[in-house]
Amino acid sequence: MKNSYKNLGLVALIACAGSWSSLHAEELLVGVEVPLTGTLARVGGGMHEGILVAAEVFNKTSKHKIKVISIDDESSPAKAVAAVEKLASQGVLAITGGYGSNNIAPASDAASKLGLAYVTSGGVDDSLVSSGHKNFFRINNTAGYQKAMVGLLGDMKAKSVSIVYSSKEATSSLAREVQKTLTAQGATVASHEFDPAITDFKPIINKIKLQDKSEFIAMVGYENDYVGILRAARVLKPNVKAIVGVWSLATSKMAADFPDLMPNVYGTAFLPYPAEFKSADGKAFNDAYQKLYQKEPDYLGQFGYVQATLLFEAMARSADKGTLKKNGVIDELNKTDRQTLIGRVKFGANGDNPFFSHRMGQHQNGKVVIVWPKEEATGKASFPGVPW
Amino acid sequence: MTELILQALYSGLLQGGSYALIALGLALVFGTMKVINLAHGELVLLAAYIAYSVESGLGWSPLLAIPLAMLVVCSTSVMVYLAVSRIQKDREINSLILTYGLGVMLTNLILLVWKADVHSTSSSWMQDAFVLGPFFSMNSEILFFGVSVLLMGGLWWWLARSWYGRAVRAVSSNRDAAKLMGINPRSTELVSFVVAGILATFAGVALFSYGVISPSYGGVLTIKAFVITVLAGIGSIPGVLVGALLLGVAEALTVTLASSALQDLVGMGLFLLVLFVMPNGLFGAKRRRG
Repeated sequence: MKNSYKNLGLVALIACAGSWSSLHAEELLVGVEVPLTGTLARVGGGMHEGILVAAEVFNKTSKHKIKVISIDDESSPAKAVAAVEKLASQGVLAITGGYGSNNIAPASDAASKLGLAYVTSGGVDDSLVSSGHKNFFRINNTAGYQKAMVGLLGDMKAKSVSIVYSSKEATSSLAREVQKTLTAQGATVASHEFDPAITDFKPIINKIKLQDKSEFIAMVGYENDYVGILRAARVLKPNVKAIVGVWSLATSKMAADFPDLMPNVYGTAFLPYPAEFKSADGKAFNDAYQKLYQKEPDYLGQFGYVQATLLFEAMARSADKGTLKKNGVIDELNKTDRQTLIGRVKFGANGDNPFFSHRMGQHQNGKVVIVWPKEEATGKASFPGVPW
Repeated sequence: MTELILQALYSGLLQGGSYALIALGLALVFGTMKVINLAHGELVLLAAYIAYSVESGLGWSPLLAIPLAMLVVCSTSVMVYLAVSRIQKDREINSLILTYGLGVMLTNLILLVWKADVHSTSSSWMQDAFVLGPFFSMNSEILFFGVSVLLMGGLWWWLARSWYGRAVRAVSSNRDAAKLMGINPRSTELVSFVVAGILATFAGVALFSYGVISPSYGGVLTIKAFVITVLAGIGSIPGVLVGALLLGVAEALTVTLASSALQDLVGMGLFLLVLFVMPNGLFGAKRRRG
């Protein structure tokens, strides 16, 4: 009798272990290394939200289940490397996340040494895709932002532009590319580099007003920089036809927080505001995002969603083929070619997405209207137009 | 070119006024207790975030947030003092480590409560142009420049003329001798921290009204305040004003005549030059008044 109880217990234990292992066999572990504190907390947090939404949407529709393990890299390159190594020790099959080219470079390097795919949208520096790593994949790049900014300025027939840009790596690189292209198109370009710590932009805007006398101001910076530049411009009122910026500018948050500064200002934007999602994927993203965070999705969430979805899909394909442990995720990412919320994504040999091209939106009456390219426009540009 | 330089001088003076307001609290505590409060920038930031909450939540002017911000910031400042006052040995160096840690805690508290988004006032009046002939500024810059000068005058008067002010200076000069004269050093030092909290409140509300705030900005404010405090000469209130104005003007002229990318380099160069020529700072030691 004692023996049969023992045997019964053993069978139950084996059955439990078996069901536990079969349950977990389909759970695909994904590591997320992202800044949730420190100087990049806001952008990292936005991307993280998008990744979690992607996991939520993917788990509802796929037979495979994604389990996300997130580690805060505290906006520090050393901690980004430590985060990747820790995630690898926890058995993740790939890494996504990363913000800031200086954090992404060492983190993707560490992922490469560990044989893990690294997918990001947080760094646009060209050196990231010239390092020769076969595991690195990026859905956006400087060229896509430059195409949009220069495209809009070209349509406006800009003859003279003053570029005001932050001395950070990504912004300097984009500003240089914009300057090169505009100069090649015959425009007169004056550049004004600024330190990220600057708070008073009046001396720079005054130089544009009195010395450059340009028709357009192009801003390449971040939210705090845009607020400073636009405030200085509102005070000094330079004689310009339009003010154009890039990321973090044509957003619902900027429209709501700075209603006096934003009217008629242009910035990169994939979505109009209020957001309109036409595709099924877009609607699924929007519904899940609003359910999880009770707010309108922003561009950071959108990029995070796209990068994570592409990774999850590649992992699922690799799992189906039984190649997860044999570089299968990297192989499947290399085969990726599909339309996403940010347009077509197909990774080149260097891991970059050559099809990335942004759109330009304009703040109009508290809304964001897509005005460039024409085929994606949701309204007409109010031109010439400045916030004052 | 003249127009550019005049505007740069004007912008530099206003910027210097805001730097002085930020540095004043740090200078007071440094001067009286020889404690470098590395959490001072975070106290300023805390006041700025309270102003943001009042403006965005209630739709009130940031100026009306001052009483609430003062209560919270002064209470936090008192907590910093209580932590520092427990240090028995090597207070100067140990308080550095302690206040640095408190600063990190405050930054994360701000991040937890207000998230990582950047904020600034949406008040039209604060952002509107104030034009004085060839000089341009925002209304908020002029308003808080005036507040900065008034507070500096008030603090200088308080230290020079009031009983508590004299007690603070006495404790600062010789703690034991002050004790023999019937002054309680602990309560005097506590008063210094409360006054530093009041000054940080005004600096924070000012910062929210003309600048942009984010949780990681506290460290930048502390460094700027520390540079000005040392430049001024330890404990000198007029020195803080002169040092801050000098720094503001030097930075604005650098942006106008060269590049903004060089402004920190020029600021630090000026700092090192002054310390090389006058090791006690502009108003240090013999010429100290405050």
